[in-house]
Amino acid sequence: MILDVNAYLGPFAFRPLRHNTADGLLGLMDAKGIGRAAVSSASAITYRNAQAGNEELAAEVRGRADRLIPFAVINPAYAGWRDDLQACREMGFRGLRLYPGWHRYALSDPACLELVDAATAMRLPISIPMRVEDVRNQSWLVNVPEVPLAEVAALVAARPDARFLLLNGAGFANGPLGRKDSGLPPNYLIEISRMDSVLTDEIGRLVASLGADRLAFGTGMPFHYPDISLLKLEALRVDEADRRRIAGANAESWLGPA
Amino acid sequence: MIGRGGSRSLAILIDRADAPPRTRDPTPPEVDDVTEPPRDPASRRTFLKRTGALAALAASPARGAQPGADAPPAARPRVIDCHAHLHHRGRPSWEADDRALVDAADRLGIDVLCCSMLTPKRPATADGFRECNRWTADGMKRHPGRILGYAYVNPGAGAEAVDEVRRCVQEYGFIGVKLYNEFFCTDPVVFPVIEAAIDLGVPILHHAGHVHHPLPDQPRISDGGRLAELAARYPEAKIICAHACGGGDWEWTIKALRHAPTVYLDTSGSVPDDAVVEMAAKVLGVDRLLFGCDMSMTQGVGRIRGADLPEADKAKILGGNMAKLLAGRAG
Repeated sequence: MILDVNAYLGPFAFRPLRHNTADGLLGLMDAKGIGRAAVSSASAITYRNAQAGNEELAAEVRGRADRLIPFAVINPAYAGWRDDLQACREMGFRGLRLYPGWHRYALSDPACLELVDAATAMRLPISIPMRVEDVRNQSWLVNVPEVPLAEVAALVAARPDARFLLLNGAGFANGPLGRKDSGLPPNYLIEISRMDSVLTDEIGRLVASLGADRLAFGTGMPFHYPDISLLKLEALRVDEADRRRIAGANAESWLGPA
Repeated sequence: MIGRGGSRSLAILIDRADAPPRTRDPTPPEVDDVTEPPRDPASRRTFLKRTGALAALAASPARGAQPGADAPPAARPRVIDCHAHLHHRGRPSWEADDRALVDAADRLGIDVLCCSMLTPKRPATADGFRECNRWTADGMKRHPGRILGYAYVNPGAGAEAVDEVRRCVQEYGFIGVKLYNEFFCTDPVVFPVIEAAIDLGVPILHHAGHVHHPLPDQPRISDGGRLAELAARYPEAKIICAHACGGGDWEWTIKALRHAPTVYLDTSGSVPDDAVVEMAAKVLGVDRLLFGCDMSMTQGVGRIRGADLPEADKAKILGGNMAKLLAGRAG
């Protein structure tokens, strides 16, 4: 079973998205053979009050929890985030998504660390997209840099009991997050959508250096063509057991069965 | 402005392959022979059938692509990557890196790679681009039928650039010209190179991009609008606008090219955005779209696989359109 840890619903501020309703995304997943997806609100990336996006998402996925796993976008720099986190927990959200660049805070800020601790106490995995769009594509209105991998490494080291999903990233293989012997706790999964499994083969190199049990399948749909990540998974030179781990088993061990 | 406004990488808009070769991690991947997609042609077909990738293929072989030892079976129509690069031979691992490129093409069902080689430092000197083109010609010999060459020149070299384009096409059998960002494509210094390409009947693959923030390292990058302007001046030229998916705002690029019917759009690049191919097909027509990777191999193949288009249209994009372009070479 393929589980996509990097999916979205709802409108995005800067370009139209197809397949961004629950019905639309499920239709796309059916067509591509993707069983389940962890989804968050694309609107919440640019809403001032991200909780409004979470509420829209909760309504959209109602009755589809077997396939669409809701993740809440929480902004720890915004008023009422503790209330929002509790409300999302009660609405059935199963994880968090953080946008430090878009919401203007640092992963090392005390409020962010408090949010991570609160999510950990609730046993919610925390996903962090390294970027939303390629920086070359950004509108004239925004100039949001990628989340620095060094800050991510510092966070996973500072909070060993938390569980992190690192989305839309690349360049892990050349740094401490990509090495087993770096001293970092094994509390994170790296999602594959932005790396390749041929030529530069960062995915294959991470399997070799970190282990297949530390990678997770993701697409970024509906921002991205899901076929691209499916092809990466197919072309990856690993045995079938490792392919199954990356395709869904690793993420399912964190998110639970359908 | 939203965000903290941190430093924007100078590498942006140099999509992967157009950037100077990056340091390759020397750590080899673990390869499991049991599940490794096999490399012999018959088994490669089996792999493609299993993955479903590239089921509909282009119709005719590229001119100049001679069947060779590692050429794909003749019965299978060709998939042509219109934008690839061989590795500069100042890089110690160039030979293995070039082999890895062909291996990646094997694994993804790409039959022909149209390659240029750029100098590591630009603007290129005449000696520098001539050396690159000699090595590209050698790459064609090393991988017969799999590698086709573009002549890379810096138009600022004047007559030396024009002579090199003619020599590469007529002596080496190159299939086109590759221009980078030394000059805007509308700068008159570029025109003699364009005119040589017209005489020779070969396409010009032009580095391009349009972003909404300054690119201090690429002050003379051309965009779709400038390429459309060049096409209006030279309607006989066959111009390829490079890497729609590695050149910034692809919606802008597609719209800018709408009324430039002699400009083709190369779909390559690392950006995996949904709906690019469909918008380009709607606005420009499928006959103007050329499949490419620019070394972002799974992105290049995956976006065509995922595009919501008829298989016949995908076949045109994957190779049919490029094969027609290449068939136009003079002489």
